[in-house]
Formats: sequence, C-alpha cells, structure tokens
Amino acid sequence: MTASYERYLDGDPLIVTAALTGGVHGKEANPNLPETPEEIGRAAAAVEEAGASVVHLHAREPNGERSFATERFQAVDDAVRAHAESVVIQHSTGGTAAPDADRHLPLRTDPPPEMASLDMGPLNRYEHLTSENTRGLVDSLHEEMVERGIKPELEVFNDGHLNEVFGLLERRDLADPVYATLIFGPGTLTRPRPRNFLNAIDNLPEGALFNTLGFGRHQLPFATMGILFGGHVRVGLEDNVYYRKGELATSNAQLVERVARLADELGRPVATPEQAREILGL
Amino acid sequence: MVCPFLEYRRESIGPESEAVRERAFDEPRAYCTAADRFVQAMRADICNDRYELAHDRDCEIYLEHAGDERFGSENGEGTESEEDPDR
Repeated sequence: MTASYERYLDGDPLIVTAALTGGVHGKEANPNLPETPEEIGRAAAAVEEAGASVVHLHAREPNGERSFATERFQAVDDAVRAHAESVVIQHSTGGTAAPDADRHLPLRTDPPPEMASLDMGPLNRYEHLTSENTRGLVDSLHEEMVERGIKPELEVFNDGHLNEVFGLLERRDLADPVYATLIFGPGTLTRPRPRNFLNAIDNLPEGALFNTLGFGRHQLPFATMGILFGGHVRVGLEDNVYYRKGELATSNAQLVERVARLADELGRPVATPEQAREILGL
Repeated sequence: MVCPFLEYRRESIGPESEAVRERAFDEPRAYCTAADRFVQAMRADICNDRYELAHDRDCEIYLEHAGDERFGSENGEGTESEEDPDR
C-alpha cells in the first residue's frame, strides 16, 4: 500500500479506461449508451478527447444483443480506428453462458487488440446464471493472448479472485507489469467499502499495477480512491449509467471528463495513449 | 423454443425511464411482455434459449409468470428483478 501511495505522491500519470458499451444492459437502461460500431467509434473519439487512453469494448448485434463474433469485434475496431487513431483497444473476453470457444473469438481480429480482459473466476448473474470462468478457460484464453501479443487485464471480481491471480502466476508466466482490475459492487463483487479496497491493493502481487472499478453509484468514490492510492481507473456506461442519483449520464465522455477533472485537482495528470502503452508494457 | 413472453418491439409502454419511453428504436428489441419492459442484452439470450440457456429454467421472470392468468393460466403477479447496478 505504501508503494502504491508513493505513486500518487509522485504524480504518476493516470490511465483512464472507458468501458463504452458492455454486454449486459444497453439502450434500454440509458439511450445514450453506444451500441453500433459507428456509435462506439464516435464515443471512443470523445472519451479520448476527454482523457481516456484505453477503451474497453464489447460487440453487439444491430438490435443491441450480445455478439462474440470476431466479425462484429472487427467492425467495432474498424470504427474506433476511423475516429480515434491512437487510443488503446481492449476487448472483453467475458460472456456469461457463452460456450468457451466463443470466448476466444474477440482475440482474433486483425490486428489483435492490444489488451483483453481475463475474468479470474466465477460470477453470479440474475437468479439462475453463473459465469463460470474455470481455470481451464482462463489458461486457454491466456495462452492465445500470449500467442497474439495481447496484454491481459486480470478482472478481479472479489477477494477470492486475488487467490486466482496468484494461482495464475504459479501456473503461467505473465509479462510485467501484472495489471489487475479490482471490481467493487453488488452481488458476487467485492463489497464496496473503503477497507475492502485497501485490503485488495495490499494483497496484490509484488509490482502489480491496479485499475479501480466501482459499479453504479460506487464508480466515482472508488475512482477517487484509485487516483489517491496510485492506481488507475475505469469509468463508463458499461458499469454505471448515471451521472448522479436519478440523472442518466449523457455520454461516456461526460463520465471520463469528471474523473479527469478530479485527477487534475488531485495532482495526477491523465496518461496519453502512448504513456499508457509505456506504463503497461504494451 | 423461445420464451412465450418474448416479443420484439421498437417502443415500450412499460415502467422504464422517460428517456426510454420517449424513443422508438431503429431495430426491434427484445421485450418481455410479462415484465412489460425491454430486457437487457444478456437476458435476451435467455429469452431466446441461446447456447445452453433455457428460459423455463434460467429466467426468474418466466418462472414467476409461467402460470399468470393474463397469459391464460393460473398464477399470480411477479415483478421484474433486473440486477440493479445502483445497489
């Protein structure tokens, strides 16, 4: 934790990841959420302008439903590159109830994404579903990421998944720095309390960097803690459709602008995409 | 077999936010006639029995409403229970 706070005191650049669309809710939750490739591409340009250096992407069908197809991710990437030349592209490999084979498909675009998410373990959804994310799947996704030169973003949904990070490090060689997203919110997620945040960053592997993600109304306070404790932050409509209680966010960029303002006030400049690549070893 | 409560619509008459009620979508979207609202993208896979999913096993809304008399059978009311990201 001390080393982490030193990064804040040193004013290390802050990597802001914008999770633009997601695969759970869509325009039925907030009509401003981008779903089509063109909408996502324009949103990527707007968040880059606002201070994001990484965009976390899912793909959808034209009616907003989930797609894991390489072709749909390719269309999204092509639109992002048409509007935002330098932002780092990160694909999701998440997919509750989808076959394991489909979870690999987002890794197969041309070029591959520079980063991809790697869910570290099980996560309950609704009343009857679980995204299993077995160790076998984690390993096979990681293997394909290594083959394609993709940096894994380890998604830690709860404290048990911190053990899974250590287990993964025992089973496989991960390129430095290890980059883990600590996720706080309802359900299977780590209970969103400051003590749990401090505990999580204290239990990361030596030298690991962390990204901070709070769902819903926890997005802003946990992003602030991430800034203060030398981590990085993820915001966006995938994780939170509101700007404040009862007020839908008008765009992903609105959420990025707010966290960039906070970072500036707190003495951490937002990283450019090139700085993000350097920090993450891309 | 898809869920009998599933329809594809461009507009909602349900209890969603004003921002959703006021618009018509370009593409018809999955709409749950039991909950009277558009469903989330992930839930639409359950409605359509995609992958290994089955609406009559995996959807709590269907299970609550399966016998609802509004739909020609004998059960009572139920409510949408979408995961609340603001909890």
